[in-house]
Amino acid sequence: NFIEMPTALCQALNCENTAKLECPTCVKQTISGSTFCSQDCFKKSWGAHKALHNLPEGVTYDPFPNFKYTGPLRPVYPLTPTRSVPEHIPRPDHAEDGTPHGELAERGDTNIRVLNAEEIEAMRKVCKITKEVLDIGAAAIRPGVTTEEIDAIVHQATIERNAYPSPLNYWNYPKSCCTSINEVICHGIPDQRPLQEGDIINLDVSCYFEGFHGDTNATYCVGNVDEAGKKLIDTARECLEAAIAQAKPGVPYRRFGRLIEEHATKMGFTTVRAFCGHGIHELFHGAPTVPHYANNKAVGVLKPGHCFTIEPMICEGTHKELMWPDQWTATTTDGKRSAQFEHTLLVTETGIEILT
Amino acid sequence: MQSDDFDDIPDLIPVIETSTVPKPPTEPANNSDGQKKIPVTIVTGFLGSGKTTLLNYILTEKHEKKIAVILNEFGESSDIEKALSINEDGALYEEWLELRNGCLCCSVKDNGVKAIENLMEKRGKFDYVLLETSGLADPGPIASIFWMDDDLGSDIYLDGIVTLVDAKYISQHIKDKKDDGAINEATKQIAIADRIIINKKDLLSESEMSELENTISGINSVATLVQTERSRVSLDFVLDIHAYDITDVNGLALQSQKINEHASTHVHPDKTVETICIQLDEPIRDVDLLERWIQTLLWEKVVPRTDKQQYQQHASSEEEQVVVLRLKGIITPQGGKERIIIQGVQDLYDMQAAGGSDSTDDDAGKLVFIGRNLVKVDLEQSLKKWLS
Repeated sequence: NFIEMPTALCQALNCENTAKLECPTCVKQTISGSTFCSQDCFKKSWGAHKALHNLPEGVTYDPFPNFKYTGPLRPVYPLTPTRSVPEHIPRPDHAEDGTPHGELAERGDTNIRVLNAEEIEAMRKVCKITKEVLDIGAAAIRPGVTTEEIDAIVHQATIERNAYPSPLNYWNYPKSCCTSINEVICHGIPDQRPLQEGDIINLDVSCYFEGFHGDTNATYCVGNVDEAGKKLIDTARECLEAAIAQAKPGVPYRRFGRLIEEHATKMGFTTVRAFCGHGIHELFHGAPTVPHYANNKAVGVLKPGHCFTIEPMICEGTHKELMWPDQWTATTTDGKRSAQFEHTLLVTETGIEILT
Repeated sequence: MQSDDFDDIPDLIPVIETSTVPKPPTEPANNSDGQKKIPVTIVTGFLGSGKTTLLNYILTEKHEKKIAVILNEFGESSDIEKALSINEDGALYEEWLELRNGCLCCSVKDNGVKAIENLMEKRGKFDYVLLETSGLADPGPIASIFWMDDDLGSDIYLDGIVTLVDAKYISQHIKDKKDDGAINEATKQIAIADRIIINKKDLLSESEMSELENTISGINSVATLVQTERSRVSLDFVLDIHAYDITDVNGLALQSQKINEHASTHVHPDKTVETICIQLDEPIRDVDLLERWIQTLLWEKVVPRTDKQQYQQHASSEEEQVVVLRLKGIITPQGGKERIIIQGVQDLYDMQAAGGSDSTDDDAGKLVFIGRNLVKVDLEQSLKKWLS
């Protein structure tokens, strides 16, 4: 009943072999990431490794001590156990086994759904909820609060509204929202790190309500942030606004990237290529793909009834990303900061409506 | 350094798949600009066409290149990993592509692309990558995956599509009628090919072969055809195709020549999927207008009309849709600006200024379409109206 996972790496210092073996004590204590290629490497690492066992309450650790982080930020584990969602709340397909089957079925399909009046109403409802939850989560942001605590607040606010937090178990994502601090571009996992004065943090919230998803995010200041950080945040917001300002039926989806890149470049920043906006409705992520850079081949034009997000990520230095070993957290390769803003949008007969 | 509790060290156990087991650090491919990009060739064809024989031959042939072959592509992609065979200087070995499914959500790059990039990051670059699609596959979506925007800074690029056909059975496959009226796979595979290998030529007589070539050219008049026995083709035929290279102006000139030749000497027996070429009379005054015309044609699948908004035009039924499978063009904008090359496959298209080469060909440009329900006269008129 053990499934081999050939993609893990050996945790021993200076060993790059893939690891198919795991420390049994860690498994028993649900400590993740203790993979080794051989008993030999394990023995060599034992001195440092055993410190992980039987950690007293309140002790935290970096789960990837040998990873070459690009900036000062570190994950602070352990993560709290998976939060539960009350039975009566309808769940999206990925809540079950992690896999968004609906999305896979439409993979590669560039047809963009046109929502009818009923479906549009449903989107308005879920987006209102999503926005409320974001505001509640954001209100908790201050120095000393851990991102875990924010996640708990977001999770609670979501289920109180009889909604399911879309990120939870999406491709096995462990938490109910994403908290991306400083050099993290997106998909930061809430953990035990307390926010520090001067941090910038993006909180990304998505809710699933009565069959539809809503998605929004914003970047906030923790206490006093330096001028450069504030300029970065303002620019990211302006990029989103610039894109939305031109959205109306007939506009090709590929146009937004140019608007975003032009503004970001003008202000001295770069725009992330790797992640994009997306269609959103009964699927969390569907067609169209909305790139945030200028020369793109996005397919489709805006038509009344389309629902999609634009979510530019703007960076102080390079736009290139490096993934942490948790397989989610994307950081800039130079360790400099990144800010982001996102709205879910509805195309109307005459223009655009911001639903979140 | 010796620990005194070596006796307490438990024996390692095999890794258990759980949601909290972190996977290895996957650094993005080194996207340093200016570095050599690696071409990816997609190899398609029905079961029995000889694809596997061709790829195995490429894998065992002695040459000075490092060629990676991925057999049977990424399929439904619930795999975590995929085998990739490499022929380096005639020596064959295997590697593993690690396909992560997480974080696919708002990623622009396909996880198959990332897997190849990651592997090259770790093990060094290949000279070529060949990707076999499964027999009944529509190669269009796979082409879309590998035809990436330059700004994504990928180390790999789509070089071209090679289709193998079984000389004996292909005519039958082409005539296949699908329940929903869609274009059948065999026809699609031929339509978007850049190179077509007619395999098992020994099974046909000369006149049968001539007729077959006629049929295939009727569908796709721009691909290069070759006949073989047992999938034996020169490596040069399947590598360095440059089909999606915007700097390859001369390639297009050659291709349009082929179309004209074909059109003048052959009559199309059955107008399903075919190739047409539209010659432009004069330089384009407004390139944006032309682009909107192309968008309307490609995405709404109708002959564009000027009396309706672009986004309000629809085909009345799937069978009536004007389906463009492949698009190539070169146009001259007014005012002596650089010529523009147009490339398209399925829904994707791109228009870019072509570097330098002043073609002796003085014309205002041409557009080549391969697809279904393409009525040359209608399209010409529509374009004329649109641009005026």
